[in-house]
Parts: sequence; C-alpha cells; structure tokens
Amino acid sequence: MASDLARKTEEPQAPRIFRPTTKSPLGPVKIASAVSSVAPLLALLAILGILVHQALPAVKYNGIGFFVHNVWHPGNFYLQPVTTNGVLHPAQADYGAWAIIVGTVLSSLIALVIALPASLGAALVVSKLLGPRVRNALGVFLELLAGIPSVVFGLWGTLTIGPLLSRDIYPIVAKHMPDVIILRWFRGSTGAGEGLLTSGIILAAMIIPIIASTSRDLFAQVPKLTEEGAEALGMTRMEVTTKVTLPWVSAGIIGATVLGLARALGETMAVAMVSGSVLGTLPTNIYSTFNTIAATIVTTLDSALIDGTGLAVRTLAEAALVLMLVTLLANVGARLLVRKVSTTALPVGRGV
Amino acid sequence: MQDLAPRPVEEISATPPGSSRTVIKVSDLTVGFGRTTIISGVNLTLIQGSIVALIGPTGSGKTTFLRSLNRMNDKVRGYFAGGSIVLDEQEVLSDHVDLLELRRRVGMLFQRPNPFPMSIRDNVLAGVKAHGLAKKSEHDRIVRDNLERVGLWNAVSGRLHDSPFRLSGGQQQLLCLARSLAVQPEVLLLDEPTSALDPISVESVEKLLADLAAEITFIVVTHSLAQARRISDHTMFFFDGHLKESGPTAQIFEDPQQPETQYYVSGRMG
Repeated sequence: MASDLARKTEEPQAPRIFRPTTKSPLGPVKIASAVSSVAPLLALLAILGILVHQALPAVKYNGIGFFVHNVWHPGNFYLQPVTTNGVLHPAQADYGAWAIIVGTVLSSLIALVIALPASLGAALVVSKLLGPRVRNALGVFLELLAGIPSVVFGLWGTLTIGPLLSRDIYPIVAKHMPDVIILRWFRGSTGAGEGLLTSGIILAAMIIPIIASTSRDLFAQVPKLTEEGAEALGMTRMEVTTKVTLPWVSAGIIGATVLGLARALGETMAVAMVSGSVLGTLPTNIYSTFNTIAATIVTTLDSALIDGTGLAVRTLAEAALVLMLVTLLANVGARLLVRKVSTTALPVGRGV
Repeated sequence: MQDLAPRPVEEISATPPGSSRTVIKVSDLTVGFGRTTIISGVNLTLIQGSIVALIGPTGSGKTTFLRSLNRMNDKVRGYFAGGSIVLDEQEVLSDHVDLLELRRRVGMLFQRPNPFPMSIRDNVLAGVKAHGLAKKSEHDRIVRDNLERVGLWNAVSGRLHDSPFRLSGGQQQLLCLARSLAVQPEVLLLDEPTSALDPISVESVEKLLADLAAEITFIVVTHSLAQARRISDHTMFFFDGHLKESGPTAQIFEDPQQPETQYYVSGRMG
C-alpha cells in the first residue's frame, strides 16, 4: 500500500497542454473572402495573359528594335503581305517605340516635378496652417478636382492653357533661359501650345489632388507632441516642417507620389489632346510635340484596324505591355526607396 | 486663522544657500483662451538652481502656466496673457522677444517621449544645429557629453546612427532630455515628464534632475505628490486657476496654510 502510494507520486505527471484550434470551419464568410481575395489577382493575370498572347506576333516581328528606334510605319497595304519570322505582315512595316517610351516617361516626370512641391505645399498649408472650416472646404475642393474627367482637362489644355502659354509665357522663358545644361532644354522653338511642357502641366493639374489629399491625411497623423517638441527646442516653422514633419511621413509621401506617377504614366485622353501626336520623332526641346504610349494606342487604334494582317493592332498590344512594364518599374523603384527611407527613422514599421 | 478667499499673491522667498540670482519673475499673470480665463493673478520669483514642483488637480492651470513661460501657448486659438513674465530682465510677453532664442533658454520636456524621426545622434544635435551653437567638429563631443550627462552613453554609444524608436520608453525620454540639455538652457520646463515611464526610469530621471539642478532651474508639473516631495525645493499649489499657496516643499506638505492645500496634499482630493 505504502509503496503503491510512493510509486504513484513518483510517476511523472504529463502537463496538460492546451492548443487552440487554428482552423475554423469552411463557411460562407470564408468562401466569400477567399473568392474576393483571389479575384484581383486573377483579373491581373487574365489581362496580362491576353495582352501577351495578343502581342506575341508583334514581339517576334519587331524584335529588340522596338525599344531602340523611332519609326512608326505600318507598311504598304497595297503590296502583297510578307511573312517574316513566321509572322504575316504588310510589306515594309517598321515599328520602333523608343520615342513614345521617352515621351511617356518625360511628360510624367515633368508633371511630378511640378505636382510634388505644389501638392506638399498645399497639404501642409491645409493641415497645419488653416482652421478646421477652411480646411474642410479646401478638402472638398481637392476631391472635386480629382473627379474632373480627363477629357475636360484635355479640352482645357488644348483650347485655353496651351495657346495661352505658347503665346505669353513660353517665348519669354525660351528667350531668357541661359544656354547651359538642362536649362538649354527650355530654349528654341516654342510651338503652338501642344507639346511636352503643356502636357506635363495638364498632367500635374490632374495628379495634384491625388498627392495633395493623401499627403494631407499623412500630415494629420504626425503626432502633435513631436512637432511641439521641435518648436519648444527653438526650431523655426520651416525647420519643424523639414526636419520633423516631412521625415515622419516620408514613406507615405513616396507612396502618394507613385500613385500620382502611375496616373500620369497611364493618362490617355488629356495627353492625346495636348501632345501634338507626332509619331516617330524624339522631342528636341521641352516645348516639342511628342507622344506617349497610352496616347499612341488611343489615337492610332482606328487606323491600325485597317491592317489586314493584324500586325498594327498587335504592335499596340506590345506597346501596352511596355506601358505596364514602365509602371511596374516605377512601383518597384518606389518600394526600394520606401525601404531605404523607413529603416532609418520611422516609428512604425516599413511600408507605405 | 487666515482668510479663505483666494489669496494668490504668494512669493517664493526662500533662497537656496550660495545662490540668489533671480531667473524668472512672474507678476500678476493672467492667461486664458477666448473668453475663458484659465489662470489669474499669479506672482512668483524663481531662483537659479532650484527645482520647483507645480502640483494641483487636473484643470487647475498648471500646464497652461508652464506653457506660458516659453510661449508655447501662442499658437492656441484665442490665447491671451496679461501681467508680466521677466526672464533675466527681459519681458517674455512682448512682440519683440526672439521666440527661438527664448525657447533655447527655456527648454521643455513633455509628458511622453517625443524623439524626432532621425538618428539618435541627430536627435541630440537637432537643437544645436538649429541654433548654430557649435561647429561640426564639436558635434561628436556634444553628443557624447550630453548622452553621458543623462546616463545613456553606454547604452547607445554603439548605435548612434540607429533610429531612436527602438529604445525603451525611459531611454527615449532620457534622449529627449539630452536633446534639451544640448542647447544649454537656463530653465527647463517639465510637463509630467515621468508619467509615462516605469518606476526604474522615473528614479533615474529624478536623480538626474537633482544632479543638474545646480546649473539649471527646473519647473516640474507633476501629479505625483510623492515625486514633488522627493525632488523639489519649492512647491506651488495651483487650484482653480490660482496659485493658492507656494513655499518650501517641506512647509507645503507638513504645514499647509490653506485648507485646499491641506486637503490636496493629504491625498483626499485629485
């Protein structure tokens, strides 16, 4: 009996371990969320797949030359179509997208150079200097600006702003710019108002609301205590802004900027109306007429459909692929920048 | 028996041995926002090298008073101030005062640590750079000196270029203290500086204040009566917008003259 008891106490007691079940039963909520989480991915893959399939013959025919030269020649439809690399195409057809790639990137960069300081300035004024009533009114105004259809911007650019700038502003700028690096680009013929700079300005007006309203929300999140700390240390308002407020939200600002950039890169209608729509030539100065990928697709689609071999349309599909690639590269670049910025300082983790 | 009506005109007259330089003299100070008067009729004289505790219930005007001394209330809508605050013979409540220089001389430490989004090193140097107080070649020494003063050097010397947000709350507050000290202030205003810290950190901050008090005058708003008792030479009791009573800390706690003070320090109020 006694030894029995002793043995009992000596036996190691297995500790009771509780593990909560991580699996929840399959129900309508779970199914619905699974479907909705996969849907955007499927849509993206479908678009990409169809685009690649459409573009493939053009990729084969145009080859690497598509990225390095500036011709846009659908070929001679009166001659017998020829087959090259297994692709049927009109005789003498030759496509090179270098000029429209450059045009897309340049016009968007000009837009960004104008829009970024303007947006940050507007967002700072709205969130830091104004009272709540004016702040809300301006907020509504910003959102209204974001909702204006791009064709309206295009019309405004081609009828009003473009002619105005080319008559009253551009000639003065062109005349007085010194003949030095970069600024040299502002010299020379100023054209009739359609071109790179006008497009950049119109694009800027379109992306300012995007960057400004996002930045305004970001600035509102900067802790008051931190800004007050900087003020109490005897920093000027400018120093508080540049040393504390802006760095606090830098990652988010980059995110907002990329949103704006993506919009500018892909903007079609407004640019098509103010670019001057020339194909196959690189801009010679900042007032030059030019074209972007998106605008080229929309303005040449009609004539491309005439090409009985289908190469012209397939080339436009290839151009669309390139546009997606450019936008993707901008996004990747921004992510890298965010990572670099946010590891140094931000109190909350990485990310936009 | 003293009269029970608000009798705000009290002065700290006790002088610590060896020093009697007046740093701040406040006369008949009235402060408010819009149509509301927050504090009125405050008079006091602060002697260099002392620690003064401001105690009183929430809403009694302690923080408003504190933030008037470095004009941090300026930005608040409807802020107005009457009377006079004299810092070294210079009127603080004047449009001619150099606000940036005033805030260099009268520093501030806040309720919660508020490091800037820059490296630990740059945090210490933020004020020094803004005021152009030192040459670049002296920056290393300034960083080290001030971090050593707050006892943080050993903990952070290997990661001066890291983000301050990975430090513990107590360390962050010490860093903010180092940042304030780096611009060589004469007065440091502390608004409940330890209310968000753990007891060990509180102890180290309190010890630091005692060590630094020889050079700098500290004005500390605190809700902890024990803390006021531990660290301060003088205590000022705010009640309902008035400086109800002030005097040497021992006297305020052992022998309060006003019934409200008595009620408050005995822990029956607030």
